[in-house]
Order: sequence, then structure tokens, then C-alpha cells
Amino acid sequence: MEKTLVVKNLALAFHQERRPVTILAGVEFEISSGETLALVGESGSGKTLTALSIVKLLPPQARLETGEVRLNGQSLTSLSEREMENIRGRQVGLVFQEPSAYLNPVFTIGNQIEEAIKSSLSRKEKKERVAQMLAEVGLDEKHYWHYPHQLSGGMQQRALIAMALINHPSLLIADEPTTSLDVTTAVQIISLIKTLIKKHHLALLFISHDIALAHYFADRMAVMYAGRLVEIGPTRTVFNSPRHPYTESLIACLPEKYKPGEKIRAIPGTVPDFANLPSGCPFHPRCHRRMERCFREEPEMFPVASALVRCFLYGNSVATEPGN
Amino acid sequence: MRRFWQRLWKKSKPAGVALIVLFLLYATALLANFLSPYPYERQFREYSLCPPTRIHFIDSQGRFHLRPFVYGITVVNPAFKRYREDHTRLYPIKFFAEGRRRILGVEPPGKIFLLGTDLHGRDIFSRILHGARISLSIGLIGVSISFLLGLIIGGVSGYFGGRLDTVLMRLVEIIMTFPSFYLLLALRASFKPNISSLQLYLLIVIIMSLIGWASLARIIRGMVLSLKEEEFVMASRSLGLSTFRIITRHILPNTFSYTVTALTLSIPGYILGESTLSLLGLGIQEPYPSWGNMLSICVGNLRILTLAPWMLTPGLCIFVTVMCFNFLGDGLREVMDPRNW
Ligand SMILES: Nc1ncnc2c1ncn2[C@@H]1O[C@H](COP(=O)(O)OP(=O)(O)O)[C@@H](O)[C@H]1O
Ligand SMILES: [Mg+2]
Repeated sequence: MEKTLVVKNLALAFHQERRPVTILAGVEFEISSGETLALVGESGSGKTLTALSIVKLLPPQARLETGEVRLNGQSLTSLSEREMENIRGRQVGLVFQEPSAYLNPVFTIGNQIEEAIKSSLSRKEKKERVAQMLAEVGLDEKHYWHYPHQLSGGMQQRALIAMALINHPSLLIADEPTTSLDVTTAVQIISLIKTLIKKHHLALLFISHDIALAHYFADRMAVMYAGRLVEIGPTRTVFNSPRHPYTESLIACLPEKYKPGEKIRAIPGTVPDFANLPSGCPFHPRCHRRMERCFREEPEMFPVASALVRCFLYGNSVATEPGN
Repeated sequence: MRRFWQRLWKKSKPAGVALIVLFLLYATALLANFLSPYPYERQFREYSLCPPTRIHFIDSQGRFHLRPFVYGITVVNPAFKRYREDHTRLYPIKFFAEGRRRILGVEPPGKIFLLGTDLHGRDIFSRILHGARISLSIGLIGVSISFLLGLIIGGVSGYFGGRLDTVLMRLVEIIMTFPSFYLLLALRASFKPNISSLQLYLLIVIIMSLIGWASLARIIRGMVLSLKEEEFVMASRSLGLSTFRIITRHILPNTFSYTVTALTLSIPGYILGESTLSLLGLGIQEPYPSWGNMLSICVGNLRILTLAPWMLTPGLCIFVTVMCFNFLGDGLREVMDPRNW
């Protein structure tokens, strides 16, 4: 199948006062059209920066060191800002975490959606298109005249989805679209996104810190730790038989895995500081299956079943019995 | 427009009233030729410093007239400017009495001076209507220029930052250190004394607005600086909007609740600036009236003040206008921000 998005060997660093701080390293994944890839990981693991790297909307100090992004067969890496402006909105739409902040407070919802239309249409055609889009995301026609603060969080998110999809892009990037919403609203938004990607045959990069939510609706799943993908594969494989110790503990910590009365577990240790990443495998200080070489060397991705796993347990050495 | 009015009225009654008053003032200025009984330069030498003509419905015999009328004016003492109503001569107020172009008037030789006359016997009411054109437009034009400059320069400076920002902001600081009024005086002095009123008018507007934009630009720059970090700017960037569009269509409109208020509040500065200049004899030149130069005659002339206090009405007009703009500005602060609705 044709790949809508191909990300190859992405590396990103922040250049601040002293030495550059590497955030992303060796991030690689692909999304076919109609497919949903979930990118999961704890907060601060670099998920948002991965999304922003794709559309080159990085903060000023951030720089892409290596890597290539191909969208519908076209490489974005060497494109100028002008050319990127053409890509954004038209070929890729973004939806963000905090809908209220991402809407302009002084314009009506309808105005903002209309403003996002990039093809030259007459006023009337634009209005029709907006009305159609509003209906598609489940907003009422009267919401055209409403200001963002007059809508609930869920409706605001619907409006943002309408803006992201108004030019019929082939890729949608949704960065924690439901994190700031309450559970019932979140479910509605998720099912809306599901309907829309099915209807328009969209490729979706769904970013979430919640592996259970991701499992519920992604075709494939990529797990990120400290700016590295540690495991990527079909959702069923990754979720039901996690190979990487990090994925394993993420799933083990899910509330629904507990029996009543059982104590809640958490992954021991804390998310590492990017400025002082541990040597070797960045996860080793928190890993319950670490080996001696994990302190020294960083593993590459090894194929296991239908997944890729970044862990020495699965390759590059004589399989020794894991231990401490 | 209707929504705007409803919101303004709901938020602040004084601002609503102020808006109506201002609307009427501007309308009368526009229609000055039509509404004034006499041309502004028409002199009635024998009626200098004549008090406001009283309008009557009931004559000396106690008869009621449906059409209001004025009495003829008899000069009692030309040296001391004493006038008396002549109850034998009665002039009804008519529409289009003096030809087709003036709505209000009385048949000659009757005279109607609604607000009295000045030293040269010119009708103050007519002059106030014409003077309003200067005094009311000077603020609007001045503010439009400084608004445009302030928005563009502040917006660019704040959004792009860097060296451009540094250069522009130093420029702003230099301009802000100019004492604008003295600059105005100095520049006025550097032109020949007999430049036309129109040239002078433009000179005043341009100088004042070229100085006025600086403080606005600085505030807008600060607002843009923080607004560009807002997520909705990121959202517009993710939609692929161009930088120009983002600045003009998304960032600057967010400063409007401030700028519109600030501008409304700065209009009185222009009106007062022109008045002060005229007061010093450097503003709009006679015979053309402005509220400022009409007042300037009264300055330092206590005798006129006690003899003809009606000559101060242009001052009252300035006061009312300035107050209205202040009330309106306060009201707009609330209304311009959708989050307050
Ligand atoms: N503007 C920035 N300046 C410096 N560091 C940043 C900036 N944005 C993000 N980072 C760093 O990048 C890391 C990853 O951020 P992010 O991609 O937002 O994580 P996630 O979306 O997974 O929560 C953060 O932990 C932070 O240390
Ligand atoms: Mg994030």
C-alpha cells in the first residue's frame, strides 16, 4: 500500500546556551493511508516534538539534525518555509491538546474555519463548505456565530477538527486531542475522529500518553521513551504481548489490570532529564531486566515477531538469561 | 452594528449616551452649511457682542403663536454693547428663510443669534457648527494615521523581533522623548506665518500623529510579543497561513480591545492640542473658525468675559466632546473583547 507518511531516522536537538541537548534520536515510522498509528509514551518523552518535526513547526532553538520526512511521496526536509505553508493545512492537519487555547478568542468559530480554507472559492462557496464541515464534526449551524469561549471543550475540539480537515488533507496529526476533556466527551471526540478518518480514508498519527486509549483505536502502535521509539508494531502484538520492558511496565500499570484491593504499581524511577541521559540504554536505570551491556551500549531496533523492539533481549547477542 | 450597539448599551449607559452625543455632533459638523443660519464669516458690525436671541411663543400682548418667533434687536448703546428686544417688530422663525440652502432663519431685517455674536458681530452658533469640522475631524484623522503606523510598526517589531525590533524600538524611544507640543511650536515657527488654514491643519494633524504612533507602537509590540506565543498562533501556523496573514488577521485583532480604547482616549489630545495652538494664535487662522481660535479671543480679556459670557460656548463644546470620548473609550474597553460578552 502507498505510504502517506514516512519518517526516517529523525534526530532533533535543542541548541541553547551551552551544548546542544538531543531530544529525539532515530525516530522512524510509516503510516499508510487509512491507517492509524498511535504514538504513546509518558509526558515529556518527545511525542509533541515528533509531531511538530513532521510539519517543521519547531520552537526556534530546536533543530533537526538528521532525518527525512516524506509526505505522499514528497520529501519535506529540504522545503522552504513558504513551501511548507502550502503543505500545512492542505496535506496535513493538526489537532492539539488544549482546544480552548488553540482557537482565536476574538473571532467566531465560523470565521476561523472559513479563514482556514486555502482554495480560492467565492464567499458563498466558502460558507457552504464551512456549514458542511460543521455538520460533519457534529456542530450546529448556529455555532458558526459563536465565539470560542461560548462553546464547551468538546465543541471547541470539534471546531478545531473542522479547521484541520477543511482542506481535505491526507494526514491528520492529533496530539492528545482528548487529554483535557472529561471522559464522556473524550469518548465522543474519539468516535468522531474514527468516523472521519474512515470516511475520508485519512492517515492518522494519534498521540497519547494513554496506552489503553491508543490500543482502543490504533492499527499500529509506537512506544516512545526519552525521545526514542522503543517498540513499534501492530496494536494487538504490542499490547497483548509487549516485548520491551518499558512497554511491559506501561501496560502492567494500567488500572484495569488490577484486581480489587491490589496495590497500584508505578514504574520505579523517573523520566530522565534530556541534558543528562543515562549512558547506554536510556531506560536501564528503571529496567527490571537490565543486563550488563545495557549500561554501556544503546540497542538498535530488533525485529521480534511482527514488531520492532529496541532492547538487547531480542538480538545482537547470544541470548543470555536476563538478570540483574 | 446593531449587536455592537446593544452590547455597548448593556455594558455602559454613559458610553451609549456619549456615542449618541458624538454622533449628533459629527452630524451637525457635516451639515454645518445647512444648519447654520448665517455664513461663518458674515459680520453684522452694528450687532457686535450681541447676547443670544431669545425665542418666544407668546408675544407682549399675551397672544400665543404656534410658530416661534424672535423680536427685532434695538441697539441701546453701541459703545457699551447694550441691546434690547424691540417688541414692535416680530420675526417668525422659518425654514429656508434666507434662500434654499439654510434650513433655519428669520426674514431680514430680523436677526437670529442663537448663541450670541462675537466682537465682529458674527453669529457664534454658525461659527461653532463650522468650527466643529476642524475640531472634530482633527482627532479622527490624527488617530487614523497613528493607528496605522502604530499597528504596522508595533506588529512587525513584536512578531519578528531581533535586530529589526531593536532598531524600531530605539526609534520609538527617540520619538517619545520629543515634547510634542514644543515640536509643534518649533515647526510652526519654521513655516511662513501666513500659510493657509488648510496647510496648517494638515501640519498639526501630521505632526501630532507622527509623534502619537510611537507610544501605541510600543504597547502593541509588547502585546504581540506575548500573543505570538499563544497557542492559537501555532494553530494558524499549522493551517499553513502566511506570516502576514497571521499578524494581520490573527494577532493584531487581539490587540483591538486595547487599541480602540486607547485611540478613543487619545482623540481628545488632538482636539485640545489644536485648541491650545489656536489659543496661542498659532492654530487655524481667522476668519475660519475652530473651537480653539474662537476661544482665543476671550483669553486675557476679562471685560469680554463679563460682558459676553456666551463667547465661552466653544469651550463647553470642547469639554462635552472630550468627556464623550472618555466615556466612550471606557465603554469600548468592555465591549471590544468577546470574552466579556
Ligand atoms: N521549547 C522547548 N525548549 C526546551 N526544551 C523543550 C522545549 N519543548 C520541549 N522541550 C523538551 O523536550 C521534551 C519533550 O517534549 P514534548 O515533545 O512536548 O513531550 P510530550 O509531548 O511527549 O509530552 C520535554 O521534556 C522538554 O524537556
Ligand atoms: Mg505533548
